[in-house]
Amino acid sequence: MRFDEVVLAIMKAVDGQRTVSSPYHLIKGKKSGQTIQDIGYFRLHPYFAVLPKLDKQDYLASIDRLQAQGFLIPNDNKVQLHGSAFALEIPSAPLNGWKYRGNENRFFARLSLVVQTMSNFMQGQKRFDPVVTDETVQAWAKAYLKRIDFRSSAVQEAFKNQLENSLALAKTSEAHKAILMERLSGCGVGGLTWDQLAMEHGLLPIDVKIAAVEALHAWLDVLEGMEYPLLAGMLEGIIQQSALTESAKRTQNLSERGFSLQQIAELRQLKTSTIEDHFVEMAMNDPAFSSAPFMDEQLFQSIHHISKELKTMRLRDIKERLPEASYFQIRLALAMRGDVI
Amino acid sequence: MNLEKLLYDAYGYTEFRPGQKQVIEQVLAGRDVLALLPTGMGKSLCYQLPGKVLPGAIIIVSPLLSLMQDQVAQLKKMGEKSVIAINSFMKPEDRERVWNTLSTYKFIFIAPEMLVQPYVIGKLNALGISLLVADEAHCISQWGFDFRPDYLRIAEVLPKLGNPQTLALTATATDKVTDEIKRYLKLIDPFVYSHPMDRKNISYDIRKFDNDSDKLEELLNIVATYGGPGIIYAGTRRKSQELAERILALGMRAAFYHGGMEQQDRIFVQQQFANKELEWVCATNAFGMGVHIPDIRHVIHFQLPSSIEGYVQEVGRAGRDSLPSLATLLYAAGDERLVESLIMDDLPEKHEIELIYERGEEAKQLIEQGMIRETAYRIISYWRERLPLEGTLNQIEQLKKEKQRQAASIRGLVHTSACIRQYISRSFDQENLEIPPNCCSFHGIDYSLFKGLQNEPKASPKGSWKERLKVLLPI
Repeated sequence: MRFDEVVLAIMKAVDGQRTVSSPYHLIKGKKSGQTIQDIGYFRLHPYFAVLPKLDKQDYLASIDRLQAQGFLIPNDNKVQLHGSAFALEIPSAPLNGWKYRGNENRFFARLSLVVQTMSNFMQGQKRFDPVVTDETVQAWAKAYLKRIDFRSSAVQEAFKNQLENSLALAKTSEAHKAILMERLSGCGVGGLTWDQLAMEHGLLPIDVKIAAVEALHAWLDVLEGMEYPLLAGMLEGIIQQSALTESAKRTQNLSERGFSLQQIAELRQLKTSTIEDHFVEMAMNDPAFSSAPFMDEQLFQSIHHISKELKTMRLRDIKERLPEASYFQIRLALAMRGDVI
Repeated sequence: MNLEKLLYDAYGYTEFRPGQKQVIEQVLAGRDVLALLPTGMGKSLCYQLPGKVLPGAIIIVSPLLSLMQDQVAQLKKMGEKSVIAINSFMKPEDRERVWNTLSTYKFIFIAPEMLVQPYVIGKLNALGISLLVADEAHCISQWGFDFRPDYLRIAEVLPKLGNPQTLALTATATDKVTDEIKRYLKLIDPFVYSHPMDRKNISYDIRKFDNDSDKLEELLNIVATYGGPGIIYAGTRRKSQELAERILALGMRAAFYHGGMEQQDRIFVQQQFANKELEWVCATNAFGMGVHIPDIRHVIHFQLPSSIEGYVQEVGRAGRDSLPSLATLLYAAGDERLVESLIMDDLPEKHEIELIYERGEEAKQLIEQGMIRETAYRIISYWRERLPLEGTLNQIEQLKKEKQRQAASIRGLVHTSACIRQYISRSFDQENLEIPPNCCSFHGIDYSLFKGLQNEPKASPKGSWKERLKVLLPI
């Protein structure tokens, strides 16, 4: 998938209902209530946080290209796509952003250090400049290498075989796998910069970055199967156990202990609106979530009914027809549509 | 004490580099020392080795975060484990851990803004300091090209730390700067080691053109004729990218490097250059720190440097292996205008100074509103605590004159009709040089020495991912 296709895929979903900058926040993985909630509403799980370091300039460049190609109609308020955008087939990709949330980069940083170390030791080089400078990652890699006894050639061989066999199974193109391997360094071999990769593969630097994320997600999916213990060992703390953000998890704990929304806001010294965001997040993620404490069944049904009738998820449109419902109630009801996650 | 034996036992080296032994002897004798050693001459060994003998901690004050990180990495690479860096970018939980285990570290790198905090001073005093090292000590001098007001605060902290023995290290300093270092750091009857600035194996070449396109053509001609590994310093990020593209188009291996790239990519370029996968790196002045390559053959300036000190530092990255190396400065008519505007842009303006005096701490908010610049705020808020408005205006006026002097001395370098080497030495108050063969374009250079020096750069492995993996993990 090209970067522009990622942007377009998100825009197709939110067309007419969200601003042009909303895909930017989603791709960067912004943890705001709005963004988190949109993922559920519009089923945008694959694209969340796929490029946590996305530069605004790169995003705006993509917008320019989409406008120049006629897919996107310039509009300051909301995404407005041209019919041609809907006709355009967007290839499917193994992206799974909601699950990995940018943590795949931590996995890759660990892998980079482990491969670099093995590569150097295999070739008799015991001193080298580590390719990753983050001290937490360095400490992790050091402990891991010690644990697996990386100096043993049997371990080295097993490591390489597991790497090769698991990556071979990843459901992504050979070119994407090549990009990922070219980001690794070894003894006398430096990793390639995004610009160098872009030139080599005839793509934009931003497209190469997306390709690497695709390859990583596809590969992590294989590694989770646990048939490759040496690599699975590097997944420690990478895969989110709960789908909730950290803060929402704390709110959930308090809610389960019987505190009301208001009480939680006071206890945590957070704004009520923030705690509302957490409940919306919980509603999206927990199939057993009940709306009963927040609205009666009739209001819940009316919100859904109007959303379907108007074919919209815009809160304001629904609110106009149902002035008695609060924005929070509308968001909660929409988040519980049942077809999310 | 047998220092050679100590050196061998600690790091496996059999001999000192020039200057190291003299400096270390004096440090161990308990004297304050000011050492002027050119970059790449192993400055850090001057405190590393004493660290093996002295009972207390070695505190190294370092002005730049990236420099600090690089030095920590180098020390660790040499097998030194008890090294820690303390700066204001540390996460709170890490900081907590560091404070609690501080006594287990021998070498403590610290940023000047951290050093002045009472809490930190208390912690360090409890530790027992054997030696305080002021790295890049020229940053303390407002006459230096790299003045950092935070650095002046070291002077204020010294008494609170019990005036520890001090080692000041710098690569570049004029007499004026040396005097200020001694005064601010209160060095008592210091031993001064001054290594000749001059690098005999570097030939200085200046080539002048009427316009930019001729200059560019000459650059492409040079890289095609003479070999690398080489660094090409461009003035801006965009220019570095542009030049790399032109050189790549000639079929040579080049990459660009600047501060706007993500850190991982910057490390990749450094590695490729060190591995000889690249012949040329086109860079802004962000390139250099963390580059420890002995056989750089050619440093080309495609843009005028902003000071002689900066120029000498950049050129000094060539020929650390003592073999003949070339420093080429390419100049097109009018180039100095860009440099002068860059230099003056750094200085606080009168209206900024007045605003900061008027608003005090609140002036910080004016940075966001674009009313004043951050550098101006930093410099002026330092002076605001110490001088009345008139005094500071005067200070800045002096500074402006100094910057103009620097710009003039760069202009002088380009237009000198005499020996370039002597011109440079004189700006560091060092005189009476002998003229080595191939001294400079004034005395004549035998360019054939530098032709086709390049080793064929290694091709980086291309092809399938499995082939790449085989190269990375050849088992």
